[in-house]
Amino acid sequence: MTDKMDVWQGTLALMVLKTLETMGPLHGYGIARRIEQTSGNQLTVLYGTLYPTLLKLEQEGYVSAKWGISDNNRRAKYYSLTRAGKKQLESEARRWEQKTAIIGRFLSPSEEA
Amino acid sequence: MSAIRAFLCRLSGLFDNQRKDHELKEEIESHLQMHIEDNVRSGMTPEQARRDALIRSGGLELAKEAYRDRRSLPVLETMMRDLRHALRTLRRSPIFTVVAVLLLALGIGANTAIFTLLDQVLLRLLPVKNPEQLVMIWTTGPNLGGNIGSRASSYPMYQDFQQRTQAFSHIFCRFYTPLSVSSGNESERVAGELVSGNYFQALGVGPAVGRVFSPEEDDRMYKGHPAVVLSHQYWVSRFGADPGVIGKKILVNSYPMVIVGVSAAGFSGMDPARSPQIRVPIQMKPLMTPGSDQLGSRRNQWIQIFGRLKPGYTMASAQASLQPLLSEILRAEVTESSVQYVPKSVLDRFLARKVRMEPAANGYSDLRQSYSTALVVLMSMVGLVLLIACLNVASLLIARAAARQKEIAVRLAIGASRGQLIRQLLIESAVLSVIGGATGLFLSVAMIHGLFGFLPTKGMLLTLRAEPDWRILAFNLGLVFLTALLFGLAPAWQTVRVDLSSTLKGAEGALAGGTGSARLRKSLVTAQVAFSFLLLVGAGLFVKTLANLKQTNPGFRDIDNLITFQVDPARSGYSLQRLKDFYKQVQENIRSLPGVKSAGYAWIPVLSGREADWDVVVEGHPFKDGDDRQAFVNCLSSGYWQTMGLALLDGRDFDGRDEGSRFHVAIVNRAFAERFFGDKNPIARRIGFDLGPGAIPDIEIVGVVENSLNEGVREGVRRQVFLPFAQSNFPYASAFYVRTSAGSGPVYTALRRKVQELDPALPVYEMKTLENQLDETLGTERLTATLSAAFGALATLLAAVGLYGVMALVVVRRTREIGLRMALGARQGAVLWMVLKEALGLLGLGVALGIPCAYLLSRYMSPQLFGVAPTDVWTAAVAAVILAAATAGAGVLPARRASTVDPIQALRHE
Repeated sequence: MTDKMDVWQGTLALMVLKTLETMGPLHGYGIARRIEQTSGNQLTVLYGTLYPTLLKLEQEGYVSAKWGISDNNRRAKYYSLTRAGKKQLESEARRWEQKTAIIGRFLSPSEEA
Repeated sequence: MSAIRAFLCRLSGLFDNQRKDHELKEEIESHLQMHIEDNVRSGMTPEQARRDALIRSGGLELAKEAYRDRRSLPVLETMMRDLRHALRTLRRSPIFTVVAVLLLALGIGANTAIFTLLDQVLLRLLPVKNPEQLVMIWTTGPNLGGNIGSRASSYPMYQDFQQRTQAFSHIFCRFYTPLSVSSGNESERVAGELVSGNYFQALGVGPAVGRVFSPEEDDRMYKGHPAVVLSHQYWVSRFGADPGVIGKKILVNSYPMVIVGVSAAGFSGMDPARSPQIRVPIQMKPLMTPGSDQLGSRRNQWIQIFGRLKPGYTMASAQASLQPLLSEILRAEVTESSVQYVPKSVLDRFLARKVRMEPAANGYSDLRQSYSTALVVLMSMVGLVLLIACLNVASLLIARAAARQKEIAVRLAIGASRGQLIRQLLIESAVLSVIGGATGLFLSVAMIHGLFGFLPTKGMLLTLRAEPDWRILAFNLGLVFLTALLFGLAPAWQTVRVDLSSTLKGAEGALAGGTGSARLRKSLVTAQVAFSFLLLVGAGLFVKTLANLKQTNPGFRDIDNLITFQVDPARSGYSLQRLKDFYKQVQENIRSLPGVKSAGYAWIPVLSGREADWDVVVEGHPFKDGDDRQAFVNCLSSGYWQTMGLALLDGRDFDGRDEGSRFHVAIVNRAFAERFFGDKNPIARRIGFDLGPGAIPDIEIVGVVENSLNEGVREGVRRQVFLPFAQSNFPYASAFYVRTSAGSGPVYTALRRKVQELDPALPVYEMKTLENQLDETLGTERLTATLSAAFGALATLLAAVGLYGVMALVVVRRTREIGLRMALGARQGAVLWMVLKEALGLLGLGVALGIPCAYLLSRYMSPQLFGVAPTDVWTAAVAAVILAAATAGAGVLPARRASTVDPIQALRHE
């Protein structure tokens, strides 16, 4: 447990958006589980980071929330991606790829040399 | 975009928190349950499953906290909490709240009211295009001719400027004159303005309906533009805002003219104190001011010139570029025949005349000067009143702070920072101040309506508004926050400086307010006394000024039973002879009325601020160059002096012998006789007027009359020459005077009827007793005196209340000491005196501080005063006595309570 990383703010929003894109409407617990699984259980998603992030995305209009019934008949709030959210996901993903590519070029052993 | 959306969501997150808290709880609960169910499914016991789920998802309370912070704006939320707390606290002490709000409302309201007037009379820019480019242009030095009004120029001078200057995009001119307007069979006298054709273009003011004047259509032909532009206000009030009036004919001074348009709403002209109701092209001048043309004359100065600076020109550079042009014009004017006989020294001064300019972004008003000083003085005074009110509220807050020491100590002890508490206390002050300010705003509207009663000019009322606009609101809001800081900061600081341990231990001594707070309150009261002293001295000086002005003997007797009214038949198209006959007929018809003893009429109404002065020549009295030869002239009917109740000292009144078309005889007043004839008899001596070349003294003095006032009280007695109205060839605009035997009420209607029997369409105006007329000239003085007296009284009352509060506190704190003294044999009288002495000490200190301040400020007041020195010792003494009486009153109650203390009880006290 101790070696697991806490999800850092900012990237969580991107993960949430991506999760909602692949999975469709999902409740908070489902999102947390899915992110943890995708990370190969290297990440832990806490309430204290997940719900403020969801609220922020909702306030910004990237996700919408609606109360619904889960598979095992439990009332849960379902989040789904909006059109603005889809656009935001695309641009954020692009930016993230650029960033990692740049950092990657710094960190990988230089091939030209 | 999304950031704004998020901000708005968070803003709305300030409200309806319970429902959202509940929703979050439900959401997390369902999250937890799903997690537990998953864990159970993967083989844990329910106990283990729950533990694991709780650990893996992190702290619940922390999550709620983070969620809440995200949901709304934490800073704002704290402010809202402080605000709610402040409102709750204030509701708990309603008496304090009501008193504080009332004090602030009075102070802020009075300030807002005076500022509203000040702003509109002095500060506001004209509602025209780029007002900052406007300048007023005039010239200094002798004109060798007649002047009407201040800063006047001749029309040809205006034309020269307009055609030949580079610095201005427009140069335009105006002339203010009353006009007689009839449409249908109704006639009325309105405020009119003659303007150059480019007037509206230059100002950038358009029409509301129809068109405004243009230089092409309305400024080309002498007497050729019978067009009228109505002011928006006049269009609404007189024509019910009917767009159909465009193209309609009306009679202006009995001359048919066409209404071509209505000027834009809100535009009232260049003079904030006057608002012309109709405007006429200046080329119509001869028809608008019967008997005087002046358009072509360089020796008559009557129009006011304004210009709009071209971009790139400053006032200085424009002035520099206009000066050579003026000098050139003057050199050409000297060759005119009319100035050929002028002595060389005067000619030199004439040629040295200078162009003057002044920014005209807020227009120009003759009346502004007299009002501006009064308003600035009143603004300062009312500011002091607000300061005193603030000091009172501060004092109240300190008293409250003493009572709240325990609460504050507890809050400090459980971890509130002093900064947080100060913020909390300042928000409380701000709440008080905002409520006070809002109440004050409503009060101010009522106060302004009251103030309007003091303004003598009816034209002014048309342009002044009582309703606040955004400027007034901004001023009001500024005052609110300034006052909140003023009265809130020191008490707040004082409040949080509690000694924690002793207060919490319940040392009651600390509860009544420490020595520090008593000292602070005493210094506040001292300041209040000093300010009140200043206000009382000011009020005293103004009241005395008004009394002096009122008591000045006008020379006219029994002015309460002396009715005056004015008619202006020349503006209804009367010919010269018909005018003279008409006046005579009116006089005769009035004389026959029951209750009327005598009647007379004059060319220029007395005590109206108007005058005509000419240079005289006197037989046997050689003048040197530069001698003062000025004499104030009026034309009178026979019977005038009898009506005014003035004695002829020598000689005779005008009578039937004095006819013709030029002046043969004159009556002079005592001042004139003494100046030019000393103790010799002036009767049968000859005088003349220096109106043209080679003035000959050919007018014989037939009478000498006692001195009387002319324009007004401040101007005093002038050297006067009176000429027979019957010999005048300019018998225009005339004031009648009627001496009645009893109450004037029924006579008013009878007089009006008598005039209307002769000409039903002729407006009769300014009908009132001479006493009222005199009162009206004192409008500014009465405004200043009444308001400053009210401010002084208010300030004294506030200071007394403040003093009472402090003395009551002192007595409570010293109850034990007083009891001890009495137990040891002090008499009641001694105790009474002990307390009073302290109150009087504060008074003495306050007055001692006030005296040098009053002395320093007095010099600014002297131009406003009349017959009283600004450093008048008696006024200061009276102010001190009034304050002493108020102090004694405020001190006596607590002192008596102290002296009736039961020593046994007092020693048990605490």
